[in-house]
Amino acid sequence: MEILRVSHLTKVYGEGEATTRALDDVSFSVEEGEFVAIVGSSGSGKSTLLHLIGGVDRPTSGSVLVNGIDVYARSNEELAVFRRREVGLVYQFYNLVPVLNVVENMTLPVALDGRPVNQERLSGLINRLGLHDREGYLPSQLSGGQQQRVAIGRALMNAPAVVLADEPTGNLDTRNSAEIMQLLRGSNRDFGQTMIVITHDEEIALAADRIIAVEDGRIVRDERIRR
Amino acid sequence: MSAITNFTVKSLRANKVRTLVTIGGIVLAAALLTAVLTSYTSLQSLLYRGTEEVSGSWMAMAYSDDGRDSLEAQAASAQTEGLIGETALIQDAGFGQLTERQQDIYGRYLPIADITGGVEKLCGLRPSEGRLPEKPGEILLFDTWRTSGGLEVGDTLTLPVGQRAAMLAPGQAGSMSQSPDMPAAMLEEGEWATDAMTEISEGTLLDSSMGYLEADADGGIFNERLVEAEERTYTVVGFFAQIPYVASRGVGITAFTSDDPAAAGYARLFTTMSDVSSTDVVEERMNAAFPEAEVRLHKDLLRYMGVRSGGAIWDTFFGIVAVLAAVIVVACVSLIYNAFAISVAERISQFGLLASVGASRRQLRRAVVLEALIVAVIGIPIGLLVGIGGCAVTFIFVGPALAMLMGAEGVPFVVSVAPWALAFSASLTLVTVLVSAFVPAWRASRISVVEALRGTRGGRVSKRGVKAAAKAVMPGKLWKPRGMVDRIFGIGGTLAHINEKRGTGRGTAASVSLALAIVLLMTAGSLSTFLGKLSDVAGGTVDMPDVSISAALVATVDASSDPEAVVAAANERFAKDAELFGATYDSLLDTPGAVPRGWILRGSAPIMLPEEMADTAILDHEIEAGPRADGRCGAMAGLVFLDDATFDAYAAEQGIDAAEYHDAAHPRAIGVAEAYGNNGDVYQLFRVFRSTGMVEVIEGGIVTTDGGARRPIEVFTSGYYGTGEDGGSRFNITPYYTDEQGNTVIADDDISSDQVTVVSSQLEIAALADAAPSLMGNAWGLKLIMPMSLASTTGFGIMSPSFEGFFDAANDAHAEVAQALVDEAGTFLHAHVADDVSYLMMNDFAERFESNRTLALVVNVFCLLFTVILALIAMGNVFNTVTNSLILRRREFAVMRSVGLSGRQFRRMIVDECLGFGLRGFVPGLLVATVVSWLLYCVVTNSMTGLVFALPWTYVALALGMTVAAMLVSVAYGMHRCKADNVVEVLRADNA
Repeated sequence: MEILRVSHLTKVYGEGEATTRALDDVSFSVEEGEFVAIVGSSGSGKSTLLHLIGGVDRPTSGSVLVNGIDVYARSNEELAVFRRREVGLVYQFYNLVPVLNVVENMTLPVALDGRPVNQERLSGLINRLGLHDREGYLPSQLSGGQQQRVAIGRALMNAPAVVLADEPTGNLDTRNSAEIMQLLRGSNRDFGQTMIVITHDEEIALAADRIIAVEDGRIVRDERIRR
Repeated sequence: MSAITNFTVKSLRANKVRTLVTIGGIVLAAALLTAVLTSYTSLQSLLYRGTEEVSGSWMAMAYSDDGRDSLEAQAASAQTEGLIGETALIQDAGFGQLTERQQDIYGRYLPIADITGGVEKLCGLRPSEGRLPEKPGEILLFDTWRTSGGLEVGDTLTLPVGQRAAMLAPGQAGSMSQSPDMPAAMLEEGEWATDAMTEISEGTLLDSSMGYLEADADGGIFNERLVEAEERTYTVVGFFAQIPYVASRGVGITAFTSDDPAAAGYARLFTTMSDVSSTDVVEERMNAAFPEAEVRLHKDLLRYMGVRSGGAIWDTFFGIVAVLAAVIVVACVSLIYNAFAISVAERISQFGLLASVGASRRQLRRAVVLEALIVAVIGIPIGLLVGIGGCAVTFIFVGPALAMLMGAEGVPFVVSVAPWALAFSASLTLVTVLVSAFVPAWRASRISVVEALRGTRGGRVSKRGVKAAAKAVMPGKLWKPRGMVDRIFGIGGTLAHINEKRGTGRGTAASVSLALAIVLLMTAGSLSTFLGKLSDVAGGTVDMPDVSISAALVATVDASSDPEAVVAAANERFAKDAELFGATYDSLLDTPGAVPRGWILRGSAPIMLPEEMADTAILDHEIEAGPRADGRCGAMAGLVFLDDATFDAYAAEQGIDAAEYHDAAHPRAIGVAEAYGNNGDVYQLFRVFRSTGMVEVIEGGIVTTDGGARRPIEVFTSGYYGTGEDGGSRFNITPYYTDEQGNTVIADDDISSDQVTVVSSQLEIAALADAAPSLMGNAWGLKLIMPMSLASTTGFGIMSPSFEGFFDAANDAHAEVAQALVDEAGTFLHAHVADDVSYLMMNDFAERFESNRTLALVVNVFCLLFTVILALIAMGNVFNTVTNSLILRRREFAVMRSVGLSGRQFRRMIVDECLGFGLRGFVPGLLVATVVSWLLYCVVTNSMTGLVFALPWTYVALALGMTVAAMLVSVAYGMHRCKADNVVEVLRADNA
């Protein structure tokens, strides 16, 4: 089942001579449960693509359909709700709220939605992420790998339609990177969680079901990896 | 240029807005300090020049009865020793005999004095026309000789000149002590003129320091005459218009001559000094220079030179300057500190970058200090100029008014810049800038390179926050709303709460700036309130009418021996008087240019009141009242009948229902509970009544003389006497009557004595007012206010009430209007009561109130400027801190928004946070503001008692309103900045 459809997505920054085409008429779709890696050099437009899918930016033209619903037909308030429920974002620099502890950071989207926290899912995730005994810790008390696991937990907590990760291992050492990749891959496999991951790392890319290569704002390659 | 210098200059250029804001803060701080200090030095200079203009620049004076030669010799040697500077000498040179007609104009004599040295400068003796005398036979006369006497420069004046000699009055013998006539300005504090008595006997020659002797007028035993008179001729060389210390009581205004051969006797030597630090030094030097002579100091001048201070109002003035300077220093320090702290905090990652390429901590600190120095070097000179310029502009507006207030209209109020003031402002600002820069720089340099680069600043979470976070993991505690606010604000509120509890003082800077805003605005408020009150009290009620006409008729006393009849007759007469004066007032209504304000009829009568009604003014007999032997209190009451319309308006103004006061069957009055008066040193609040109640008014009666005759009481007088412990404290009311022989007698017994029979009536003081009717100005004493409708039935036995009709003058023509009114009133009264008019006169209040209005204007302008400037600082501070506390967290906000924080939730979170630090700022701010207000209050009460300490609630409300408004604007701006940021860019930018 198709869970994401990106059609003719274009994003232009700046005006006049300073115009930069970050994305230029990009179209593709993703099936539910797919694990997609987006690769490309720095400035190729891959992060812009991710943010447009995640509803944190607005495209210049084109559309993004998640679960068949047009993301950018929504108002800003509705977009916030969309981000809470349908998207999980993981960044290179974790981006945790410094005053919130591990469980609070993880459950922030649920709390923002005003729903009760599913304690079963929370403790399941904490175990899976290896964060038990760390529930009350603040981000400043955690290592980089641990922080990234919290960020992943936050992304998975709401069982969103799609988890978007922007260089999730870019800031981590090899051992932590491998662990994070395993977590992402495992969630994809065990929960059927759709994942789109931006990466530089060949190995990580090779672990994906499909690799989309972006260059100068266009898709230059889109291949499925047969296992 | 070193790399660090280069970097600093470039970063200042690159961040133009921030650099300009910082420089602006420094300019403002330096300007304010300069302005306060320059106002102070300029005012002092004005006072100094005013005093110099009026009474000369002499600092000390030595005088001696007959020692001109020794004074001069001693002065010469003191000058060579450097003890004293320039000198001027004035010596008696006889007294000119005047004709009787001349005496009416110029005084008893024409005292002639010989002048030597710099009298023009030292004694303020400046010819308004012509020149000073230079050789014998030349004379400088007071200006009236020209205006009234028709003399011109070049004319000659011939008159007998001799010496004044004391002469025993007929039938008198012996001698007496007389005090010299010393101008009050020359007396030491607490000293009386009587300290230097001169013994006078028959034939004693009197010098110019002695007042005119006239036994009949002064109650002494001597008259005086002119002896040794010789005809002299003088050539008039000039006139002077201002009167320096040259007139003695009743003697006449001195004329001046030079090198007069007749100069002898009383001589005064005026001198200046340099490098004196205190009045003690001045006195020491004078005593060393003139060991035998008496010495006086020019205390006003010395005070304005800064050599000496004293006097309650001056303590108040300096106290206020000190409190204000302290407040301004605190405000400026906070302004500059904030600007720097924020600028450094914003660039922590820049420091990280520098550190990562090898900048040492010392170099980083140097970069910040260098930056501070650069902005200081630009900002401080501008600030000094702006401060001086601001003063100059302000003085243009208030200068003429102030000079007029000082009575020295020819002396311009100009900026007087003291180098020490500039140096002080500049160095204080510089120190502030350096400290403000160094503290954040020191903090910044301690942050690890990695932390600085990553932008994950240390210290975002407090230790307490770590503990609190560790607990909040149980399912029941997770996202648990706390209190009402969280429920109202939802998840936004909860987030705000968590941030407030766990974050390190991110909001603290904002809280402090809020607290400061409250303190600054309330200080301005207290200042306005207290100064306003002081100028109100000192200047009288500003709303007083321009002119008034007052009159009374000759009193007649009923010769009856029946007390009831005496009173009844007086009351009947009172009713008639009320009618007559009502008609008089009506006849004045059409006077051109006169705007009627109302009229009153008043008299006084003794009253008795229960002690519980009396307040301190009565109990401590501060006014003509006091406790009596019979357990009650007595007082001489001013009974004031206001015309009905004015009374109703007054009652309404005081929140009292006027209707019940017109009931003739039950007379009621409004008591004036408190009023200000000046007891000569401080403005004192007299508290008269504690509560309402019934008082007994003594209307009149009879005295049975020792000879058994029954004589009507004409008037009552009062006094304090008693025996034993009560000595001098008991208030007695004694009648005044005419005995069988036609002599006026004051019975020395209290009315409670057996020989006195009085009639009294009850009067209910039904309400208390906190001010007398504005018509009456700042009337103090015990005043009972009633409507004129009672006058026809209730006269309280007042024998000769006085009428006063009040008017405003259109077009400021108060003198003309007053004259027209008095003419009109005279015509009317003459036509109706002919010769029964006891007196009729006009009062021109406008003239007097001109200067009071000026004072009020000066005070208001000053307070307004001060309030506006402080408000600007306060608001700037709030804006800076609040905006920055938001902008510094924009990354955190971006994270929250990227995981689904909606705009509404975001706003709620911010509002809740603002409420939190607003509250934390307001409470301590209010406390500190109360302390500052209290200090100001203490300073003001030095020269005014009875001032009730109260927080200026309107200003509290204003402060609250303004800070809330400033917060709203800042938050709106901060959120706009945060929202305008693309979430994506924020998230990435800090990581780059």
